[in-house]
Amino acid sequence: MALLNDQIRDQVSEMLVDLPNVVRLVMFKKAEDCPYCSIIEELITEVASTSDRVTVEVYDIEHDKEQVAAYGIDKAPVIAIVGAKDYGLRFFGIPANYEFSTLLHGIQVAGAGEPAQLDAATKSFLAGLNKPVHYEVFVTPTCPYCPGAAVLAFDMAVHSDYVKADVVEAGEFPDLAGRYNVMGVPLNVLNHTQRVEGRAPAQMIVDAIKASL
Amino acid sequence: MFEFKIDDSGQQQAPSGGLYDLAIVGAGPAGLSAAIYASRDGIKTLVFDKSSAGGLAATTDWIENYPGFPEGISGPDLMDRMQKQAERFGAELLEFEEVTQIEPVSKGHLRVHTASAEVFDAKMVLLALGSHPKKLNVPGEEEYYGRGVSYCATCDGPLFRDKDVVIVGAGNSGLQEGLNVLNYARSVTFIEFLPYSIAEKILQERTMNHPKSTFYFNHMLTEIKGDAVVTGVVMKNRETGAVVELPCDGVFIYVGYTPDTRFLEGLVEMNKWGYIKTDAQMWTGVEGLMAIGDVRASNLAQVTVAVADGTKAAIAAREYLAELEV
Repeated sequence: MALLNDQIRDQVSEMLVDLPNVVRLVMFKKAEDCPYCSIIEELITEVASTSDRVTVEVYDIEHDKEQVAAYGIDKAPVIAIVGAKDYGLRFFGIPANYEFSTLLHGIQVAGAGEPAQLDAATKSFLAGLNKPVHYEVFVTPTCPYCPGAAVLAFDMAVHSDYVKADVVEAGEFPDLAGRYNVMGVPLNVLNHTQRVEGRAPAQMIVDAIKASL
Repeated sequence: MFEFKIDDSGQQQAPSGGLYDLAIVGAGPAGLSAAIYASRDGIKTLVFDKSSAGGLAATTDWIENYPGFPEGISGPDLMDRMQKQAERFGAELLEFEEVTQIEPVSKGHLRVHTASAEVFDAKMVLLALGSHPKKLNVPGEEEYYGRGVSYCATCDGPLFRDKDVVIVGAGNSGLQEGLNVLNYARSVTFIEFLPYSIAEKILQERTMNHPKSTFYFNHMLTEIKGDAVVTGVVMKNRETGAVVELPCDGVFIYVGYTPDTRFLEGLVEMNKWGYIKTDAQMWTGVEGLMAIGDVRASNLAQVTVAVADGTKAAIAAREYLAELEV
């Protein structure tokens, strides 16, 4: 049975049919200890089937070393959302429930090559960046506030070559979540040092980036 | 097993501006119901929320007593539907925009100021501010927020898989959300200040008969302990004075609610808890300003009641706006 019902499928198609650039969903899976790998693959295949502007590639994190290196992948499952170039958009874990919106947003902004919604002050700050920013957002699929935090990370990553955005489904990566003591979501972590709890306005994230540099 | 939802809140449209017929402060069940009725009636409506739309109901795991859903519906789903319904009829929604002042200008003109220094003009305003979970104000609560202390089991419950969790408060919210946490946790200990639970019987039966649950009644939580994260709680038996320490990984707090009405002090009359006093028709006494839903004094904190308030207010708004035209 399809994962997406007809109504959702139609909505997805409408959102993705006219993407300016083709978007490649590059998935890395692993053979063991990955209960959701097959569902994620099925999901992105269904998403790609709604639009000829979206394609799917699937690699194995153990065997496809060249691709792993090319996309800088250190854990799986993950979807790299790649537009005209690799903007550094990654979704780790299953983009289910509310997080499906985050995946779609990532595809849209990667396809457009520009953020959906960033204010002028944030764009101006990003334009002046000259150091790398690793922007991680921890989420759970059942958290209604989480997509709002995650899409901000994707928007910033699309706008700046210095920003790489990892959205991480915390439940599937307990070691990483444990490292940051993630016990509430959404949690934004900037450059591994600055944490901002909740769906924060862009200015708070900008302040945290500044503090992390 | 999984659902796949589409939420476009990341792509909020800028408000159209100009003079609104109706501004609604708060996008919970009361505010959105009013927005559905009003916008469907052709009333130009702008709804503010200082957070995501949906209010407290959107953080409720499962709602079983909202009519029309015989199997129940998740709180986020119900609120998502209300939001879409309001937007379908043209209501504009401004999320993450906190209203900081309501300024009466003249009859048929109120000015709404927001935290981002924006100003909006409306002929009439509905205060649908709702309420938010009350804090316990015990040592450790603030320090460990996000590190084991949570007020949203729907959001954070999955992070406590196979962990030991404490839920403070055995009222309706505590037990309802406790049922959600019981899906994940190794154990759930409920701590209730009163000697009994005031929750609905059906929730009491489900939680008290659950093999992973333990209840402490007549106990007061006095401290949340931890190092980098929560490691335990301290509670006191209110009858014997005995102090009990309980190791745990997480603490979910459901000890009632409190409104965010401080910015309205001096403008509207409130009771000692900060809830807004209104007349039977929900008018505050300030020209063009009504209060609806949970923020209204003597409310019942039920989605159905908030919906009814929103409905009545939208109909009152139609009459009020028509009178302004005369």
